[in-house]
Amino acid sequence: MHKLNRTVTALAMALLLAGSVAVVGCSSSPDEAQMKQLNDLKDEVASLQKDVAAKEDQKSTLNKDIAEKNAKLKKCNDDQAIVKQRLAK
Amino acid sequence: MKLYTHSVVLAALLVVALGAASAQDEKMTKDQWQQEIAKYTQQRNDLSAKAKTLDQDVASLQAQSTQLDADYQKCMDALYALVGSDASKAAAYRADIEAAENKANELSRLSDADLVARSGDVDALAATVKGLWENKLSLIPEFWDRLTALNDKVKSLQATLANQVKVYTVGTWAKDRDCLWNISKKKDIYDNAWLWPKIWQGNRDEIKDPDVIHKGQKLKIPKGNELNAEEKAAAKKYYAKKAAK
Repeated sequence: MHKLNRTVTALAMALLLAGSVAVVGCSSSPDEAQMKQLNDLKDEVASLQKDVAAKEDQKSTLNKDIAEKNAKLKKCNDDQAIVKQRLAK
Repeated sequence: MKLYTHSVVLAALLVVALGAASAQDEKMTKDQWQQEIAKYTQQRNDLSAKAKTLDQDVASLQAQSTQLDADYQKCMDALYALVGSDASKAAAYRADIEAAENKANELSRLSDADLVARSGDVDALAATVKGLWENKLSLIPEFWDRLTALNDKVKSLQATLANQVKVYTVGTWAKDRDCLWNISKKKDIYDNAWLWPKIWQGNRDEIKDPDVIHKGQKLKIPKGNELNAEEKAAAKKYYAKKAAK
């Protein structure tokens, strides 16, 4: 009985030691300032993502405008050729 | 009993240890924090670089767009110059065409009877369109196409009018001085007394003797502004007969 009692006590001590080691080992978590740094970085990334999306929209609109303007310019040049032909008649 | 106490203490310690480990799982570790920092820093750097490239692209496209505006303006100026005109004259010409288009649309919506009553407007519109064609700006496709469409509308209106026969109801001599000569002379009939044989020949079933018409007779007024061969022959015969009397 006494032997069993000692064994249980030893086991308990070992477990306690292992648990405390585990707790101490994992407890090196970032402090408040570091978490703030991470959150600020996340906010910055989110803001940049919005900014990039807006610029991509602007680029897409500009590309569309330019395509339209090119078409208008081509029509104007074609019109000039037609008018010259009509004047020559 | 002692064994029981030890077991309880052991169980309690296990519960506490597991609880602590579980709470630790929810909290970020320093390694995880570093990984997150590295991941978001990379993302920030990539996005910043992309934003910079986009800024350059947008600036380049804006410059291209501005240049295209200038090129287009130059091209249009050259186009107007080809026909001896400029943008302001072209704008005025465009407005004139639009007014003629509105007039044509208005006349097209009229009933046939109303159109007959406004045949003068159709004539005026035809004259306006003719005048617009005489401007060299009409050679520019934008105007050429619109004038061509306008021409078609005017022709359609004229065809509608040509198919309509105007009817005149004869009044009394005492009040209206109605005879074929005077009817023909009326502004809204032919505005030309010498065209009276047209009414006579157009109403042979109604008029046996052109000197005799009756109050209430409904005379068809044939279209045209000159006598055809048949009408001329009838008039000649009439005057010869008069002269012989």
